[in-house]
Amino acid sequence: MFDFIKDPSLYNFVRGPLAWIAFFVFIGGSIYKIRELILLAKKEKTVIPFLDLKFSLRSILHWVVPFGSVNWRKRWVMTTMTFLFHICLVFTPIFLLSHNVLWHESWGITLWTIPEGLADIMTIIVIITCMFFFLRRILAPEVRFVTFTSDYLILAIAFVPFLTGFLAYHQLLLPYKIMVILHMISGAAMLIAIPFTRLGHMFYFFLTRAYLGSETGFRRATDW
Amino acid sequence: MITYVRKPIPDIGIDESAKRLTPEKIEKTINAVLKGTGARLKAYLETCIHCALCSEACHYYLSHDKDPSYSPVAKVKMTLWEMVEKKGKVSADFIRQCSRIAYTECNRCRRCSLYCPYGIDIWYLMALVRRICLLLKVVPQYEMDTNYSHAATLNMMWLKQDDWIDTVQWQEEEVRMEYPTARIPFDKEGAEIMYTPIAPEPKFKPQLLAATAKIFHAAGVDWTMPSSDGWDNSDISMHVADFETMARVERKHFEAAVRLKVKRIVMCE
Repeated sequence: MFDFIKDPSLYNFVRGPLAWIAFFVFIGGSIYKIRELILLAKKEKTVIPFLDLKFSLRSILHWVVPFGSVNWRKRWVMTTMTFLFHICLVFTPIFLLSHNVLWHESWGITLWTIPEGLADIMTIIVIITCMFFFLRRILAPEVRFVTFTSDYLILAIAFVPFLTGFLAYHQLLLPYKIMVILHMISGAAMLIAIPFTRLGHMFYFFLTRAYLGSETGFRRATDW
Repeated sequence: MITYVRKPIPDIGIDESAKRLTPEKIEKTINAVLKGTGARLKAYLETCIHCALCSEACHYYLSHDKDPSYSPVAKVKMTLWEMVEKKGKVSADFIRQCSRIAYTECNRCRRCSLYCPYGIDIWYLMALVRRICLLLKVVPQYEMDTNYSHAATLNMMWLKQDDWIDTVQWQEEEVRMEYPTARIPFDKEGAEIMYTPIAPEPKFKPQLLAATAKIFHAAGVDWTMPSSDGWDNSDISMHVADFETMARVERKHFEAAVRLKVKRIVMCE
């Protein structure tokens, strides 16, 4: 088995075509899902007439700022964990030096990069917060009541790329080549899963938030 | 293992109606209602990350010592998610439980919608469940009776038109004992406002009509009330999801104002 993994063709496939497939499916799938939802919204007749840009943005900003809304303020542990998780989850892969080097090699593009020490800290934050979410799922009764297998799976899909990425960089547990291949496969799996699972809340959040913000706004109420 | 455990409460509106249900009727109704939904249901079903942050909003959840089966997301899980997953192939007993959850364990206060980080309108999801239960006629007896009152008399208290007029004129006499020049003007065209109470006021608490008249008289407000249907601004039909009757009630209320050519409608509740 190790010979198969050490074979250069597996690495080449994962580094090349799989990355292409992952990005295509992620971007194309997201566009398709958003478009599908907007078309459905046009058909529903009670959605588009109420949408208002000012109220939508106000609502989104209110909930994207930590401790902005009432529910965020009521539970400071969950709020802190949620925001740390999402900020580190989104910004670590985008501004990581290794990823930017790969993009530069493949497509000639780069973004700003963060120092390696900071990237390490952010990755560890993602790992710890994922463990917190997992514990919350099995310990908190109101969460356990509505937890299905798919909830554990999507948490794992988000967790494994960060774990394998951290282990690969520090060359722990398994040989580097194997770990980095696992990292790339799990990263591709996460990207592909985003549009077609509940991880799609990545873009749906803005749409559902905009609608409720508009509904409360036109009634001259505020979003809690 | 958390389960839904409740003391059985007999209600002929729910129990008797459920006996008349057939699996075909249930499936056909659920699928018809779900077919009429669109982007909102799809987004809410696909976005809910099962975080249960809505739980702390629900006063049923908080007042039942944080029993997880009262949490808003749990209510939706036990009703709508099941219906969608099973594509409407659910039993009559399940519909009875849905009716109990949707009508008596949620009063659509919408706090949960304002606590949800995504802005998922959980109220809307419970409204869909209520709509399905109403179309199957599995509704708590007293609420359905009130709905029938709206259908028959366009007010929620089975009041006839002469009951309404007599009560208002009686209260006008009471007010005039204190303020001789005060009036409760019926059908005054071109008034500033049309005031409409809820039906329990003339039925159980007519003194509130007198109190309103005293306030308007002291404030010098130019007001009127309709003597015919449309004087009641309550709408239990909306509450039980009988949208057809709800439309009739609301239209009559609004048309009364148009007919009297008032500038504004003022509602007490």
